[in-house]
Parts: sequence; structure tokens; C-alpha cells
Amino acid sequence: MNPPVRSAFVDGISFWAPRLPGWELARQVLRGETTAPAEPARRPAPALLPPTERRRAPDTVAVSLEVAARACEAAGLDPATTASVFASTHGDLAISDYMCDTLVSTPTLTSPIRFHNSVHNAAAGYWTIATACYAPYTALSAHTSTFGEGLLESLVQAVTDGWPLLYVAYDIEAKGPMATMAPSAGLLGAGLVISPRASAHSRLRLDWRVVDGASHPPTVASPGTLALVQGNAMAPCLPLFEALATGRGEVSLALGPGLALGVEIVALECRG
Amino acid sequence: MVATHTSEERELAEMIIAALNLEDVSPEDIDPEAPLFGDGLGLDSIDALEIAMEIAKRYGVQIRAEDEENRRIFSSLRSLSAHIQQHR
Repeated sequence: MNPPVRSAFVDGISFWAPRLPGWELARQVLRGETTAPAEPARRPAPALLPPTERRRAPDTVAVSLEVAARACEAAGLDPATTASVFASTHGDLAISDYMCDTLVSTPTLTSPIRFHNSVHNAAAGYWTIATACYAPYTALSAHTSTFGEGLLESLVQAVTDGWPLLYVAYDIEAKGPMATMAPSAGLLGAGLVISPRASAHSRLRLDWRVVDGASHPPTVASPGTLALVQGNAMAPCLPLFEALATGRGEVSLALGPGLALGVEIVALECRG
Repeated sequence: MVATHTSEERELAEMIIAALNLEDVSPEDIDPEAPLFGDGLGLDSIDALEIAMEIAKRYGVQIRAEDEENRRIFSSLRSLSAHIQQHR
């Protein structure tokens, strides 16, 4: 028996990678309408943050706040009252490497600022500080299934709570010995606002169901797109963003052992 | 007018700016006699811990969180620098 198909709506999309800095450009590149810039863009400045938080913001915060803000803008949503899901495969491996190295060599000389930034929910925490948001947030990681699990969590929360929800997925560059076990290169951030009901901002419908993983292997992005993000751990998000860029397509996203999230993107009729 | 820095104060000011990633602040902007914490530079208690850690690393001077003298030691760049020079 096939599991039921459920629907949600995409009210806002955002994307940031050094060679695809911003959804408008990324969308055109993924549609094959233009080529990606040869020069990588500088990391986005987390302008939303007050000065004290801004100067302490690591790459995870810079890239995730950029896409979080742009997705909310696109959806016309007030971030202060919007629940969110933040997903990252590895969190901040640059800081994890620093922490491990320091704890071995000079444990009493651990930087309190880096310690404070080392937690997996740092990006979500900075976002809620920046936007004075008291709505709930979830920070999750599920190794190579992180993007799919984060999307499933977002869909379930949006449907069960009945409100639009912000989904942010990101990974940064891995450093040190752990980079050999948990590799990730460059920065990649992707954001979606998912709504349980069609709104004036809805442009795409997302039909989804949880399916058997063995018969639905994860969709692989095109080699050209993969080359642009150079081995970032959040690359499993790319097939969905290719479908969002063209406004149609079916993708399968890994959900851990034995399961997958089947997603079909359907363009909505243009409204006047 | 900002008072002149000693060479030790200037080095300490540079260390603080780098350690805290202070935006658009140069050593000359840190008045050696003005309060380090509060409104001026916008520093807080996490910054105090970070500065203490950097001082231990660079000068080998330990400033403990429970030290009752901390308020005086951290009152200005000048007093912090003097404390380091006396204890290094």
C-alpha cells in the first residue's frame, strides 16, 4: 500500500554559496540561463546582528542568517513570530577542531567565545537573538540524511502546527583531522519557507510522502551543480533546489536507513 | 583628547582588538584611561573572559574569575597593562 501523499506550499526560497550567492542568481544558473561567476563571493555579513554578536559570528552564523533572512523576506514573513528548523550535518567543525586541539594541549586556555559558538544550535540561537524571536526552533543533524530529515521535520511541524515555518540548512568548511572523517568544503546555505496552506506568496506546491529507501535511492544533482559547491556536506539539498529552480520535478531525499522522502515540485497557476 | 599609550598599552590594545574582532576600532581609539567595559567599546563579560585567556596565553599572567581585584584590574587599558607588567 502506498503511503498517503501530503501537500505543502513553498512561500520563500533562498540560497547562498560562494559561486551561487543568492537565489535569483542560483535559480538562473540551475535553469541553465546563465553561468556561475568564476570568482567566489565573500561570506555574507550578518547585518541583522547587533555589533557584539556580529563580531563573534562564525561562518555557520553568517551563511545561515543570510538565507534565513532572505527566505522570510521572500515569503513576507515576520521572523520574530516564525518557528524554524535549522539543519547542519556537522555544525561548526572549524571550532570543533579548535576545541579538540586546545583541550589536548592547553585545556585551561580555551577561548570562551569559541566555546560559546561551538554548540550545534549556535546559528539558530544567533538567529533568534537577531530577530528577537520567541517562536520555537529546532536544531538537528542526521549525518548524510540531514537535509532530508530537516525537511521532513519542517513539513511535519508546518502541517501539525498549521503555520508557515522557516527551514534553514547549512554546512561550512571542515578543518583539521576530523575533516578526513567528516569532510565538507566551502560554505552552503539554503532556506525555505514552508506553508501548510497556499498564500499570496506561494509559487510552488510540494507534494511529499515517506517511501521505502531501497527502491527510492537519493536523487543526485547534475555534475555541473555539484561542481559549483565543491564537496560541501549540505550538497544533498541540491536536487531539490534544481527542481525548485525549474518549477517541476521529483526528487528522493535520504532519511536514514531504509527510508526516503519523496518530493514532487509542482508550479502553481500564476495569480494576478 | 586621548592620552598617549605606552608601548605595552599599545600592544595590549592591538591584542584586544584582534582577540575580540572589534570592528572599525584602532589602538588609538582606545583611551588608556577610559573604562574598558560598558558603553564605549561595547564589551561584556564574555569579552572579559576572552581577554583574560589571551593574557594568560601571551603574557603567562593568570587572572582568575573570582579575583576581587578584577573590577580594578579591568577598569581601563592602563590598569590592565600595569597589572600585566607587574605580574609577568
